Amino acid sequence: MNLLLRIATILSFLGHYPSYILGYLIETIIVIIFATVVIAGMVYIFRKYMARVQMRIGPNRVGKFGIMQVMADGLKLIQKESIMPKGRDDLAYKLAPILIFFGLIMGFIFIPYGPLAWFGDLTVSHSDVSLIIIFALIAIMPIGEILSGISSNNKYAVIGTLRGIAKDISFEVPMMLSILAIVMAASAKVSNPLDINGVVVAQSIPFAILEPLGFFVFIISMAARASYSPFDMGESDSELVTGNTTEYSGLRFGFFYLGLFGTIFLGSMMISTIYLGGYLGPFTNYMGFIWLLIKTLILVIISLTIWLSMPRVRIDKFINFGWKYLLPIAFVNLVIVGFLVLGGIA
Amino acid sequence: MVEQGNLKNRLIELNMGPQHPSTHGVLRLKLTLDGETVKKVEPIIGYLHRNAEKICELDFYCDALIYFDRMDYVAAMNMEAGYLEAAEKLLGIEPPERVVWIRTIMAELSRIASHLVWAGAYGLDLGMLTPFFYVFEQREKILDLFTEISGSRQETNYMSIGGVYQDFNDKIVYLIREFLDQFPKKLEEVFNLFVKNDIFISRTKGIGILEPDVALQYGVTGPMLRASGVPYDVRKAQPYLAYDRVNFEVPISKRKDNYARVLVRFEEMRQSAKIIKQALDKLPDGPYFNPKAKKSLMVRLRGEGDFYARTESPKGEFGVYLVGDGTVKPYRVHVRSPAFKNLSVLPALAKDVLIADLVAISGTLDLVFGEVDR
Amino acid sequence: MIEIKEVEEPRRVPILGSVEGMFTVFKHLFGKPVTVQYPEKPSVLPDRFRFRIYLSTDDCVGCTLCEQVCPNLTITMVPLEKENQRNKRKIYPSVNFGTCTVCRNCEEICPTDAIYLKEVFETARTRNNFFYSPEDLEKHEAEVKR
Repeated sequence: MNLLLRIATILSFLGHYPSYILGYLIETIIVIIFATVVIAGMVYIFRKYMARVQMRIGPNRVGKFGIMQVMADGLKLIQKESIMPKGRDDLAYKLAPILIFFGLIMGFIFIPYGPLAWFGDLTVSHSDVSLIIIFALIAIMPIGEILSGISSNNKYAVIGTLRGIAKDISFEVPMMLSILAIVMAASAKVSNPLDINGVVVAQSIPFAILEPLGFFVFIISMAARASYSPFDMGESDSELVTGNTTEYSGLRFGFFYLGLFGTIFLGSMMISTIYLGGYLGPFTNYMGFIWLLIKTLILVIISLTIWLSMPRVRIDKFINFGWKYLLPIAFVNLVIVGFLVLGGIA
Repeated sequence: MVEQGNLKNRLIELNMGPQHPSTHGVLRLKLTLDGETVKKVEPIIGYLHRNAEKICELDFYCDALIYFDRMDYVAAMNMEAGYLEAAEKLLGIEPPERVVWIRTIMAELSRIASHLVWAGAYGLDLGMLTPFFYVFEQREKILDLFTEISGSRQETNYMSIGGVYQDFNDKIVYLIREFLDQFPKKLEEVFNLFVKNDIFISRTKGIGILEPDVALQYGVTGPMLRASGVPYDVRKAQPYLAYDRVNFEVPISKRKDNYARVLVRFEEMRQSAKIIKQALDKLPDGPYFNPKAKKSLMVRLRGEGDFYARTESPKGEFGVYLVGDGTVKPYRVHVRSPAFKNLSVLPALAKDVLIADLVAISGTLDLVFGEVDR
Repeated sequence: MIEIKEVEEPRRVPILGSVEGMFTVFKHLFGKPVTVQYPEKPSVLPDRFRFRIYLSTDDCVGCTLCEQVCPNLTITMVPLEKENQRNKRKIYPSVNFGTCTVCRNCEEICPTDAIYLKEVFETARTRNNFFYSPEDLEKHEAEVKR
C-alpha cells in the first residue's frame, strides 16, 4: 500500500484512470510543497545553527523563536524590485533562476522516501532507471548557473561562472564513477540496480561501510555541488562579490538562495539514500521516512559545521584535487568493489 | 595578447572596490586580469580622506586628540599615545610616572583589540565565517573595559596632554586581570581554528612572499616587516612610554609569507598580554595628570619648535611630526601612517597571483582606511 | 638589546586538525549567546559612561571656553534673556548633537562645572531636531521636544 493508492482509493468515485491521474498530480504537488517547506526549514535551521555556533541568538522576532522569519524574508524578496542590468542576454537571464529551481524540485520527486505508518510508501515516482534520472535532473542546475553568469553582463559573474564550470567538471566524473561502483554492488543483490529504490533495498550492509572510498568521493562531490564554504569558489563573496548571482535581486535572487540550501538538503538526502541505507532501520515499515529524515538531518548538521569552520579552497587547488586525487580514488574504489562483487561478499 | 587562430586572448580590467566585500572599507583596486591571474594591481585611495592633518592645525593642541582617535579607529589608544609622545615633548610637559604606565596598559590593550579585528577579518577574507565572532567576543570585552575606564567604547579621547582623563581604580585593575585570565585560552582556540586547518595552510603557506630588502625599500614596518625576518620594533629600537621597563620579546619569522604574518600577529597578542600583566604589577601610585596641564589651562598651552615622535602602532611605525610657532595651535601636523606605507607594497607583492591570492595577501596588510586616507 | 623570538610553526596533523576545528565550532552550540537583547533588557552601563550634555544655566558665566575648546563647532553660544548675576553677557552654550563626538572637553574645561555630561544616551531624533537650545540642555531628555 503506498500513498498513491491511498489517494486513488479516496478519489475512486471519479473512475479508475482519472482517480489515478489526479492522485499522481496531488502527490507531485505534495512533494513540491514538501520540498519548499523543507528548504524553508533548512534556511531556518542554518540561520539558527550558525547563530548559536557563533554565540549569537539568531532570528527571534517574527513568530515564536523566529520561525516565520523565512516567510518574512520570502515576502520581502517577492516585493523587491528585480533589477535588470543593461546589456543582459534577456532570455538566459530570466531562464537561469527557473532552471535552478526546476532542477532542484525535480530531484525531490525520485527520492525513495520510504514507508510511513498509515500513508504507506511515500515515494512519488518509480522508474527502473531513477538513479540515472535523478543525476540527470540535478545536472540541470549547473546550466542555470552558467546561463546566469554569462547573461548578466558582469565581469565578476563571468569569472565566477568560469570557476563554477571548472569545478563542476573536475568533481562530476569521480562522482559518477562512485555511482557506478554503487550500481555494481547493488547488482549483486537486486535485479534492478539502476532503480534508486533497489539500491536502498540492497543495503543490508550500508554501502558506506562496504566502500568507504566511494563514500568519501561522493560526500566531497555533493558538498561541491551545493557549493558551500570550502567549495564556494564560484560565489566566493570576498573575492567575486557573489559570483554568478551578482546582478540578481528580488525573487530571482531568492531562487538562487533556495537553490543553495535545497541542494544541501537534497545532497544529504542522496548520501543517506545511496550510502547509509536510506529509509532502512528498525521498524522500517512504520517509520522508514523518519529514519531517512534523521540520517539527512545529521548529515545537514555536519555539512553546516564544515561550511562554518572551513576557509575557501583556491580553484586551481580544487581542480588539482579533483583530477589527481578524487578520480584515482574513484577508480581504486571501482576496482575494489569489482573484487568484492566477484568474491561474493557484497 | 596571444592569438590562437581566431581566438583572441585579451586582458580585462576589473575594478575591485571601493564597494566590495573584501576591501576593508574603501580601498579600490584596479586589476588587470589575464583570466584568473592578476597581471597588475593599482591601489587607488582617497575615498575616506577627511583632511585630518589640516583640521588638527586649526584647533588647540588638546583638540587634535579626537582626530587621532579617528585615524586608526580600531586602535584609538595607540594613536593617542603616538600624538601625545610628540605633543608633550613640544609643549614641555612631562607626564607623571603613573600616567606612563596607564598609557602603556591602554596601548597594549588596544593593540590586542586591533589584531583581533584583523584576525576575524582575515578569516572572512578566506571564507571562514565563524572565527570572526569568537574574536569579536574578546574585542567586545576590551571595548567594555575601555567604557569602564574612559567612558567611551571606541573613539575614547582618554589620554589628555600631561595625563589621562580619569584615574585607574581597584575595580578596573581587577577587571583587566579578569580579562587577561580568560584571554589566552580563547586566543589559542581561534589560533588553532586557523593554523590547524589544512585549507587555511594551503591558502597562506608560500603565498605573498615579501623579501626583506623589498620591504625595507617600500618602508614597510610593523608585523609585516617582522614577518619578513627583520627584527625592527620601535618599542625596542627607541623605547617610549614604559616599554624599556617591561620584559617582552619581538616575534619574527623567516618564512616571509602570509603564514608568517599570521603567526607573528598572533604571537604579538600573546606578548601584549604579557606586557599588560607586568605593567599592572608595576603600576605606581601618584597623580594622574601633570598640574602644569591642568584642565582649565588646556587652551593656553603654547609650543615652539618642531618634534617628530615615532611609536609602534599595531600596523607599524606611526610617526607624528609637529611644528609649533609659539601660538596655542600647532603650525603643522604631519602623520606617517604605517598602513599607507604597507599598502604601497601591494603592487609588488601581488604580481602574477590569482584573484583568490590577491585577497589573501591584501588581508594580511591589515589596512584601516581611516589611517591610510587620513 | 632586542629580545627576538622566532615564531615556531605549530605542529599539526593533516586532516585531523581540520576535524578538530569543526569540533571546536560545534562545541559552541552549547554555549551561552553573548547577544544583549537591548530594548527589552537594558544593558548595564559602567559608571563612567557619558553621552548627553547638560547645562545648568544658573552656574554658567558665559566665558565661551567650551565653545573655544569644542573641536568641531558643536557648541555655539546663543543669547538668552535670563536672570543671572554672574552671566553679564547673557550668552549660553547651545549644542548640536548631530556633530557631537562626546570628547568631554567642554565638561573638563568648564570653570564653574555648569556644563556636564550624563549617561543618558537614548537621544535619537529626526534629522533637523538635533539642535538643543540652552533651555533644552537643562531639561531631562524625555521633556525635550523631538
